Amino acid sequence: MRPFIVTFILLAMIGLSVCTPSSHQVVVYCTVDQVFSEPILRDFENETGIKVRAVFDTEETKSTGVMNRLIAEKDNAQCDLFWSGDPLRNIVLQSKDITSPYQSIQTDLIPGDFREKEYHWTGFSARARVLIYNKTLISSDSLPQSILELTHPRFKGQFTIANPLFGTTTFHMAALFAGMGQAPAKQWMNDLKKNQVVIATSNGDVKKRVMTGELAFGLTDTDDAFEAKKESDDVDYAFLDQQAGGMGTLIMPNALSMIKDSPNSENGKKLMNYLLSRETEAKLAISCAQMPLIKGTEIPDIVPSLDHIIPMKIDYAQSSAILEQIQPWLKKWVEE
Amino acid sequence: MGGRVSRQLARNVPALLLALLLLGPLLALLVRWLSGSDKLSLLAFIDAGTLLLVGKSLLLSCVVAVLASLMGTICGFLLYRLKFSFRGFYKILLLLPLLVPPYIFAVAWKDGFQWLFGNSTAINPEVGMIIVHTLVLFPLAMLITGTALSQIHSGLEEAGLMRVSFRRMLIKIILPLIRPALTISFLLILIISLSDFSVPAFFGVNTFTTEIFTQFSAFYNHQLAISQSFLLVLLCLTLLLSENKYLSDAPFFSVHVKGSSTKHYSFRKGLTMLHVLLWILLIAVLVLPVVMLSHQALSGREMLFSRAWELLSPTIFQSAKLAFLGASLISAIGLWVAYLKERSRFPHLNTMLLLTFIIPSTVLGVAMIKFYNHPATNFIYTTIFILLITYVGRFGFIAARIIGNGIKQIPGSLEEVARVIGIPPVKRFFSISIPLLLPSIFTAFVLSFVLCLGELGTTIMIYPPGTELMPVKIFTIGANAPLALTSSMTLISFGVTMFFILLFFLIGKILFNRFSYA
Repeated sequence: MRPFIVTFILLAMIGLSVCTPSSHQVVVYCTVDQVFSEPILRDFENETGIKVRAVFDTEETKSTGVMNRLIAEKDNAQCDLFWSGDPLRNIVLQSKDITSPYQSIQTDLIPGDFREKEYHWTGFSARARVLIYNKTLISSDSLPQSILELTHPRFKGQFTIANPLFGTTTFHMAALFAGMGQAPAKQWMNDLKKNQVVIATSNGDVKKRVMTGELAFGLTDTDDAFEAKKESDDVDYAFLDQQAGGMGTLIMPNALSMIKDSPNSENGKKLMNYLLSRETEAKLAISCAQMPLIKGTEIPDIVPSLDHIIPMKIDYAQSSAILEQIQPWLKKWVEE
Repeated sequence: MGGRVSRQLARNVPALLLALLLLGPLLALLVRWLSGSDKLSLLAFIDAGTLLLVGKSLLLSCVVAVLASLMGTICGFLLYRLKFSFRGFYKILLLLPLLVPPYIFAVAWKDGFQWLFGNSTAINPEVGMIIVHTLVLFPLAMLITGTALSQIHSGLEEAGLMRVSFRRMLIKIILPLIRPALTISFLLILIISLSDFSVPAFFGVNTFTTEIFTQFSAFYNHQLAISQSFLLVLLCLTLLLSENKYLSDAPFFSVHVKGSSTKHYSFRKGLTMLHVLLWILLIAVLVLPVVMLSHQALSGREMLFSRAWELLSPTIFQSAKLAFLGASLISAIGLWVAYLKERSRFPHLNTMLLLTFIIPSTVLGVAMIKFYNHPATNFIYTTIFILLITYVGRFGFIAARIIGNGIKQIPGSLEEVARVIGIPPVKRFFSISIPLLLPSIFTAFVLSFVLCLGELGTTIMIYPPGTELMPVKIFTIGANAPLALTSSMTLISFGVTMFFILLFFLIGKILFNRFSYA
C-alpha cells in the first residue's frame, strides 16, 4: 500500500509542478502561424506582466486542433481569446454561440468592412490570396491575370491549389461562389479539373511545389508567398483580378473573438486591445507581410498596401453561409 | 474472510478507478451521441459509399499489415535468434522508423522520389501509402515477434532439431509458438494503419479515417464524425475480440523455465548476403528519410539548426519527462491488466484498454475534453494528468499485450510451487514473476516511451495551454516555417529520441545481465 501512496504523491507533485494555473494569465487559442504570432504574444507578456498561455494550431490537414477544441470546450471555456487567421472560423464559432461580443477601444480604427456588426469578431492585419509562381518556369507576362483564366488550356497541368475543404482556400472558394453564383463557380471548378489542376494538401504544400519547380504556379496566401520569396530567388507572386472591372483579390483579415464565459475575460480584453494596434500590425507587416487595416501604420516597402490592391467585394457572413451549402459539393469535387 | 474481502477490494477498486478514468469519457460520449440525435439518423450515414470506403480502407491496411508483419517477423528472427556481429546495432537502427511520425516519413520519401527521379507524382498514391505505412510499422512486428522468439525454450528447438530439419522445425515448432505474437502484431499494425489519417491525406488517398477527419476538420460535424468513428471502433473491436477468443487463447504448451538461454543460431554461409539485405532495408527505412531531411535542412538559405535547437530545446525535457511518466504508468498498468487477464481470468480491463486503443485519436480527444473539462476536474484537465490518462488509453493495450505474451511463456507451475510452500502472493509476484517478465516489461516501457514522445493526434487537442511538447511544436512551427527549419527540428527530435533509445538499450543490457539466470 505504501508504495502506491508514495507514487501517487510523487505523481501529484510532478503534475502540479508542470502547470499551475494562475489568475494573472490569459489563454489564447491561435490559428495564425506560431512563428509569427508567438513573438507578439511574448511582447504582450513582457510589457504587461500577464502570462500568456497559448495553444497554437497546425496546418489543418495534419491535425484537428484548435477549432475542434474550442467547440468541444464550449460548456466550460478554457480559452479567453481566439485569434484566427481569417474570420470564417470566428463566424463558425459565433454560429455555435461560443463567442461573446466585445467592442475594443481600438475598434473604431478598423474599417467597418472588417468587423462583425455586433463585435463578435474584429479584424486586423490582412492577408490576400495571391498567385505564387516560379520565375524559371513561367514569366510574369505569361501569368494568368484572372483566377478565371486558370482554366485556359495553356496552363494545363502546370498549377496547383490547396485542398478547398481546408484553410483559407475554403474561404476563397466560398467567396468566389458568393460572387460568381453557384452554377458558374461549379463550372469553373470543373473546368479546373479538366485543366488538370493539382490539389496540394495545404498552402504550404503549394508553396513547396512551386519553389521546387514541380509546378509553375499556384494559389496561396501572401504570408506563404512572402516566406517563399525569402527562401528562394526563383519565386515571386502576383495579385489576380486587378484589372478595371475585375472581381478583385480576396482580402482575409486576422480576426479576434472573445470567448463566452472565459475564465480570464478581463485579461483577454487587454490582449485584444493590444493586438488591435498599429504596433502589432507593423510587427506582422515586417514578419510576414500582413497588410495593416489601420490607416497610418508604417510598413516596409516590400509589403503591399491595401490602398493599391483592388479587393474582392465580400460579405463574410454570407460567404460563411454559402460555404455550408457548397461543402458537400466541394468534397465530391476533391474526391473525384 | 477478511483477507478475501481485502483482496477483492484491492482488485476491484483500482479496476473501477481505471475504468472510470478511461472508459468514463467514452461512455459519456456514447450516451451524448445516442441522446443527441434522432435514432434513425444515427446510422443514416451507412450507405453503399461508406461500406465501399470501409472495404477499401480495410484492404489497404490489410496489405500493410501483411507486408509489415512479414518483414517484421523475418527481421525479428534474424536479429533476435541469429548470432552475428553488429546484431544489436541493426536492432536499434531498425526500430527507429517507429520514432518518425508517419507524416514526416511520407514527406521524406516523396521528396526522395522527387530528388532521385525528378517526379514525385510517379508514385501511385495507394502504393505510396502502403510503402510508408509498411516501413514505419514493421519495427512493431519485429519487436513483438522478436520478444516472443527470444522467450522460447531452447530445449524445444533442440529436441526438434534432433529429428527434423531446421526448416521443418521452424514451421512446426517455432511458428506455432509465436502465433499469438504474429496475430497481435498483424492486428495492431492493421488498426494503426487504419486509424492513421496523415499519410493517406498526404498522398490524397481517400480512406474511412480521412473521411472522419474531414468531418471534424472541414465540416466541424462532430455528430457525424463520432458516428463514423463508432463504426470504425466496432470493426476493430470485432477483429481484436475474435483474435482474443479464437487465436491468442489457443492452447499454449510451452513450458518455459526462465533461466535457460534462448537458442541462437550461428552460420557462416550467407553472412555477407545477410548484411547486404539488412543494409538495403536500413537505407530504405532510415538512411533515405534522414538523408532527405538533412538535405532539406541544409538546402535553405541559412543554416537553421541553431534556430531549430532554440525553438525545440525548451520542449525536450518536458516531453521526455511526460513520456517517461507515461511509459512508467503504461507499463505498470499494462503489467497489472495482463496479469489479471492471464492469471486471474479477468479480461475486462484488457478489453477496456482495447477500446481506448482503437478509438480514433480525435474522438478520444473530444471524449476527454467533454468528460474532464469541468470545474470539479480542472485539477486533471488543466494539468499533465489529462495527458497521462490519454497516453494510458492510447497505448496501454500494446503494453498489456506485449507483457501478456511474456506471461504466457511463464509456466503456472512456478507460481504454484511457490504458493504450495507458503510464499505470499505479493512476494511471489515480485520475486518470481517480475524477474521473469523483465524483458517484456522493459520492451513495453521502451515502446511506450517512444510512442508517448511522438504522440500528436490526441495531444494537440488536450495539452494544457502553455505546455510545450516536441511533436506539437514541430507541427505548429512547421505550419509556415521554412522547410529547412522544420526538417532541422525533425532531425533534432529524431536525435533526441535516438539518445533515449540508446540509453534504454544500455540500461536494458545491465538489467538483463543482472536478472538472467544461468
